[in-house]
Amino acid sequence: MHNVWLIAKREYTERIKTKGFLIATILIPLLMGGGLFGVATLAAKSKTTSHIAVLTSQLQLADDLKQELQNGKDSQMTVDILPARTSHAVLDQEMANKELDGYLVIVPATDAGRRPTFDFTPRSTADIATSSAIEEALHHVLTKEYLAAKGVSETETAALLAPVTLNVLGKNGVHGNSRSSFLVAYVLFLLMYMVVLLYGMNVARSIIEEKTSRVFEVLLATVKPDELLAGKILGVGAVGLTQVGIWMVAAGLLAARMGATSGVQISTPQVVFFIVYFALGYTLYSAAAAALGAMTNSEQELQQLNMFLMMPLFFSLLMLTPVVTNPNSLMSRIVSQIPFCAPLLMELRISISMPQPWEIALSIGLILVTIYAVLWVSSRIYRVGILMYGKKPNLPEILRWLKYS
Amino acid sequence: MPIVELEKIRKVYDTKVAVEGLSLTIESGTMFGLLGPNGSGKTSTIRMMIGMTVPDSGSVSLFGKPFDRKALHRVGYLPEERGLYKKMKVLDQLVFLGQLHGLSEATARSRSLAWCERVQITEAIEKKTEELSKGMQQKIQFIAALLHEPELIIMDEPFSGLDPVNAELLQDTLIDLRKEGKAVLFSTHRMDQVEKMCDAIALISRGKLVLSGSMREVKSSYPRNRVHVVFSGDEAFLQNTEVEEAKNYAGVAELKLHTEAGAQKVLAEAMARGTVIHRFDVKEPTLEEIFIERVRASFGDEEARGIVDA
Repeated sequence: MHNVWLIAKREYTERIKTKGFLIATILIPLLMGGGLFGVATLAAKSKTTSHIAVLTSQLQLADDLKQELQNGKDSQMTVDILPARTSHAVLDQEMANKELDGYLVIVPATDAGRRPTFDFTPRSTADIATSSAIEEALHHVLTKEYLAAKGVSETETAALLAPVTLNVLGKNGVHGNSRSSFLVAYVLFLLMYMVVLLYGMNVARSIIEEKTSRVFEVLLATVKPDELLAGKILGVGAVGLTQVGIWMVAAGLLAARMGATSGVQISTPQVVFFIVYFALGYTLYSAAAAALGAMTNSEQELQQLNMFLMMPLFFSLLMLTPVVTNPNSLMSRIVSQIPFCAPLLMELRISISMPQPWEIALSIGLILVTIYAVLWVSSRIYRVGILMYGKKPNLPEILRWLKYS
Repeated sequence: MPIVELEKIRKVYDTKVAVEGLSLTIESGTMFGLLGPNGSGKTSTIRMMIGMTVPDSGSVSLFGKPFDRKALHRVGYLPEERGLYKKMKVLDQLVFLGQLHGLSEATARSRSLAWCERVQITEAIEKKTEELSKGMQQKIQFIAALLHEPELIIMDEPFSGLDPVNAELLQDTLIDLRKEGKAVLFSTHRMDQVEKMCDAIALISRGKLVLSGSMREVKSSYPRNRVHVVFSGDEAFLQNTEVEEAKNYAGVAELKLHTEAGAQKVLAEAMARGTVIHRFDVKEPTLEEIFIERVRASFGDEEARGIVDA
């Protein structure tokens, strides 16, 4: 045990001291936070600001449409109203000069009671935002006109067209904020995804480093391979936990300063289960990464085997949406029991809607069993693999290593 | 009590037999040379000695007891391929390795400093390993193997890649350790070092022991049938029937005779022919000659030419 501790300590202190650790600790949350903030700001400000022309003889309709498009919920367009007979060639020229983003031709209906025809020629057919804004605005305007024609007053129309507010309540009847709990779930999911991937691979890398520098041969003269493996996983894992810990504390302080105004709350069970599943997931993935590290001789070879680690993570990422939208479906319940996915998906389910206690217990049990199995296999491969070098092992050889003591 | 006792150990990797039925004994206070051409199984033997790999059959005893990992605290090991953590400072590295061998941090630190002084690398202490020359790194590794004052010191090719000054420094250090009563085993294919330093040797070829024993035994088992002659004049005496093989470098000849007694006959013929003899030196074969002869015998002549590079 003493040796495990010494190796873990060396691994930890050497890594903490590097510039890379400092940079990653500061830069990753900055980039992630900056990215999230940027996307949020952009989304909030992404009202369409296109400049379009409306060609019509129905001035009332055109005027209402203009009002709607210039001051609408999602649009801030500039609208020119032109006589119906304006030459299309001139408008096409203006579009080519990028002065105009499109023009809408409104042809009145021939029969009474039918809708007019709307022909929109955009500068780029890919400009979906503009055409959908126009579509929505037209719908609005036509409804208003119809109601006005039926003699409904303007205030009544406004009340009728106002958006509906849906209150989502928690089980205890308290007004919950479903958006923020989703957000927290996503953030925790991504955080775990990233850290597991990053630090799992670090274990593999540190094994390869020892192989290429051939330090392990000195170490193996006193230390058992299992101790070396355990020390590495603990040491590198502690670095990961330290980093996440720093981020969490920083986020906590920030949230405390900004007060509850952000509306984002992380509950205690969320934090506890995050830590539990992080530790389990991390151990599982780094044990598997250690096996990969022991099988390979260089970073390049590791890259090729990398996909074995990536696949379950990627699968979890694919399952993110189905599990979020329906956390208690049969499929969600099954995939969240797969040991390599459980750390991510069960954690996700916990932060969205608490699953049955037996489900949590079962998933933790399954992960523990898998960790034990993977560690057993890894330490065997490690023991033989690190002394064999120069040659890439094939599958039958690896199977033979497992039998070898 | 023998420090190391290997009893008919055998190790097979896939299809290649690395070590086959090897037995040898190392007594305390001896300097033991493990010799053999490249790929003969020296490193495999050493690895089994310290439990890094397990023999397929046969037994390994250290300090008079069957192999046990606990005994490794009494063993110092320098592997053939050196390795240190590149980014770590020299002192930290030595302290870490010392601690792994069961020393306390303070002891490891003070001994590291003392050793650095002894092998003259004090100025390297605060540097990172990657900033040092290869020779310096080797000295650090050398220290790392000795910090815990092991009773058995195993070194795989300890002097390869060192300049003569440093090689001698480390040789002297090993000789001092032997004087302190420690058993030292090292592998090499530099025969001059072995001849100078070792009390006992084992020669391995193709995984098998071809020769072992104390240096005196090994040498005396070979006849004194080598002659070094410096002469001028008629060189016809070199064709004497007693001469098995002669290499003549214009006035200096190395002869190998069929028997020890042949030297006198060769000398007599030279005198009779009027050749002027400046020097006539009858010697036992050098270890190098024994080595090449035995290895060739184990391979068959043709094959050996490409393999023996000692």
